[in-house]
Amino acid sequence: MFACNGNVETFVLFRLSDKSEKWIEWILLIATCISAVAIIAILSLLVAFCLPLFTLGRIRGVLSSQWQPSGGYFGILPMCAGSLALSLLALSIAFPAAMGICTLLHVLARGVFNRFLLATVRFMTGIPTVVYGFVSVFLLVPPMREWLGAGTGFSLLTAAFTLSLLILPTIVLVLHARLEQIDPILRLASEALGLTPIQQMRHVLFPVASRGMVVAAVLGMGRAIGDTLISLMVAGNAPQFPVSLYHSIRTLTAHVALVVATDSRSMAYQSVFAAGLGLFLVTGLITLFIRKSGKAGREVRREKGF
Amino acid sequence: MILIRGTVRRCGLLLFVLMASLPGVSSGGSLERFAGLEGKIDIAGGTAHIPVMNDAAKNVMDANPKIRITVAGGGSGIGVQKVGEGLVDIGNTGRALSKEEAEKYGLKSFPFAVDGVAVIVHPENSVKELSSQQVRDIFAGTITNWKQVGGQDAGIHLFTRDEASGTREVFWEKCLKKGATANTANVVPSNGAMKVAVAQDKSAIGYAGIGHVDATVKAVYLDGVVPTQENAMDGSYSVVRKLYMNTKGEPSRLVQAFIDYILSPEGAEITRKHGYIPISR
Amino acid sequence: MKRVSDRIVTGAAWLSGGGLMLAAAVVIGFLILRGYKNLDLALLFGDTPWQAAIMGERPVFGGIWPAFMGTFYLVFLSSAMAIPIGIASGIYLAEYASRRLRSLLGFFVDLLAGTPSIVMGLFGFTAILFLRKTLLPEAQTCLFLAAACIALLVLPYVIRITETSIEAIPEPLRLLGYSVGFTRWRNLRSVLLPLASRGMLSGAILAVGRASEDTAVILLTGVVAHAGIPGSMFDKFEALPFRIYYLAAEYRNLGELDQGFATSLVLLCISGTLFLIAVCLQKSAEMRWKRR
Repeated sequence: MFACNGNVETFVLFRLSDKSEKWIEWILLIATCISAVAIIAILSLLVAFCLPLFTLGRIRGVLSSQWQPSGGYFGILPMCAGSLALSLLALSIAFPAAMGICTLLHVLARGVFNRFLLATVRFMTGIPTVVYGFVSVFLLVPPMREWLGAGTGFSLLTAAFTLSLLILPTIVLVLHARLEQIDPILRLASEALGLTPIQQMRHVLFPVASRGMVVAAVLGMGRAIGDTLISLMVAGNAPQFPVSLYHSIRTLTAHVALVVATDSRSMAYQSVFAAGLGLFLVTGLITLFIRKSGKAGREVRREKGF
Repeated sequence: MILIRGTVRRCGLLLFVLMASLPGVSSGGSLERFAGLEGKIDIAGGTAHIPVMNDAAKNVMDANPKIRITVAGGGSGIGVQKVGEGLVDIGNTGRALSKEEAEKYGLKSFPFAVDGVAVIVHPENSVKELSSQQVRDIFAGTITNWKQVGGQDAGIHLFTRDEASGTREVFWEKCLKKGATANTANVVPSNGAMKVAVAQDKSAIGYAGIGHVDATVKAVYLDGVVPTQENAMDGSYSVVRKLYMNTKGEPSRLVQAFIDYILSPEGAEITRKHGYIPISR
Repeated sequence: MKRVSDRIVTGAAWLSGGGLMLAAAVVIGFLILRGYKNLDLALLFGDTPWQAAIMGERPVFGGIWPAFMGTFYLVFLSSAMAIPIGIASGIYLAEYASRRLRSLLGFFVDLLAGTPSIVMGLFGFTAILFLRKTLLPEAQTCLFLAAACIALLVLPYVIRITETSIEAIPEPLRLLGYSVGFTRWRNLRSVLLPLASRGMLSGAILAVGRASEDTAVILLTGVVAHAGIPGSMFDKFEALPFRIYYLAAEYRNLGELDQGFATSLVLLCISGTLFLIAVCLQKSAEMRWKRR
């Protein structure tokens, strides 16, 4: 795409004047501003579509704890709780597993196995969300229904298992990248002190990388909250507070997908935009937090999506 | 004047029926109305309509490749909203439009089929009959075990439809008598998804258009009446609705041709094939 | 001197590593087992002759060809928007922007990267409603809208990877062009971009992979269950991931269910391959500077 034709003749022939250089810079700047414009547009459109909630004084109704459209209750708090419970549960499954995998990668496993494990993790980031959902519906839901003995199998726990698989590779890769940055001298020193590999990991490497661990966890949380398809397909979508692991729940994202199709004057419809705005703000805060984490945040950017 | 026009229309209809009954003319005759037309028709809304719309679309597009027809689901709520906002040409609903809906958007309705809404359970469930009071209690969450209605000792797994569903509205109004649905109920987004969900779960109970009921699920007797389309038609089964196509104002020529096709004998055959009772004009 | 706690941690680590590989193997194995039988021409074209289907002479019913083409157009359109803009932004952030501007604009890029795809879909949906009320009363959710929203979704990947690929070039090489009197743009075009091209290519492929798998955006911006091959950018369309979602919820018979498995397998192969290529390119681009 960008052929290297940097020999002197072409350089002289096509030498760009300063004026056209300025022109290029402007084009590049405009391209960069598209991201900013998009963010502002998203925010303002969501706010604009939420406005009727405020002008009609419906905001308190939407921020209440019962969703029963036929009875006139349009509270989305159960969905907020559902999103939170699901992502925390998925994180509490995925994060320890990610720590274990990083321990393997850094001190326990060697050679071919190590490379194979890392390749598997990288490959898993490429598995589409909808495929996780599809497999889960047919492979995880029926046994969950049989084993738990209560509920339909479409439950908080089923969705959490599936979702933890989705966020695990992201957490592992961010954590792995952070651990790789640690000065090798530190490891040599701890080895010289006679620490076993596990002790090195627990008492030296993980504490040094603690900031990176927090960032990895928060990033995983962000992906979990933002995911739609898994909760839509396997969480059951019942609009109730998450009271037990085997009950069906609905997340904010699934709520948007399910309810966006209703009559445009109804409160149910407007609650969708409140849910969207809420999601946008929460993920925005998460982004802000990761940026504030400075150096650790930079590795996230490098590893994100891989 | 109106009388005369009505007579002319009736004569035209008679002529059409006569022509349709002539051997050789009937096959493909319904599709001839699309000759020379081109363009696209976007259809969205009621999920009970989808099989009928798909088959009709396939026939039309096979006969005339210049016509493109897209079919989407979403539920009756989407049907009203999208056709009202002009996002699609035909918005399907599995319920009659409310007065406000029809007035606000200026919608015109074309009913084409009758469909009952049946309570469905897993085929292995031993419960064969429920009273409407029992159904109300089950969906309200006061009856929670199949034992309480004469079945095995197993918790009842409730399945209901999303907020946009016309099937849900009809069921809620005519069977639950506007009673509450427990929030523990799982929510599925279409008639097809309801059937699949209930077919996979031995303790499930849900509801779907009778047209969607097949061997994978069992429709229970409601107050002693078998939920069949015949009973729905003659009024002995009460949880019944019509299936409508709706357009914003008068339909365009192409859309009118499609609606006429659905209402034609050939369209009625498709409607019947998918388990609904066609309404002739 | 092995301690008990050491053993427990070791065990847990192997367990989680094994669990991960098992999960990956189960997901892939299950799809292959249930799906491979149905990987044939009928999966793509149903009962339509394939020559006629590819030439667009006859519409395809029952096969996934329209969904396949829908996804292809979607990916093509969104890449055509996201890749040039992303590369331009990445170059600007890496080479031109002042520190403050870079931090500010970079923040917006990060925000965009963190935005959930359903919110992006909701944005497309509200944008079209807004346009209908103001400038374009005829506007509808369509292929173009979905592609634009997906382009926004994948844009941050392209930007960040372009930026890091340029930054990863060692200082002496970055200054090489200036030392022979190149202007900034000349140096970029002749030295930096060719050196960063491998990394940038991986960013582009990653964007393509992400665009092909996303479902939540298109759910709200014009995907439908049955549309045939889109005739223009302003038509409704089908797509592979939506087809999978649809079939999982409402297959009408076992044949359709089998098609769901086969379709999942096809999508997994497409996006899995794209990701692997992207990762390999990225790694080789990184190794290039590490060896020096």
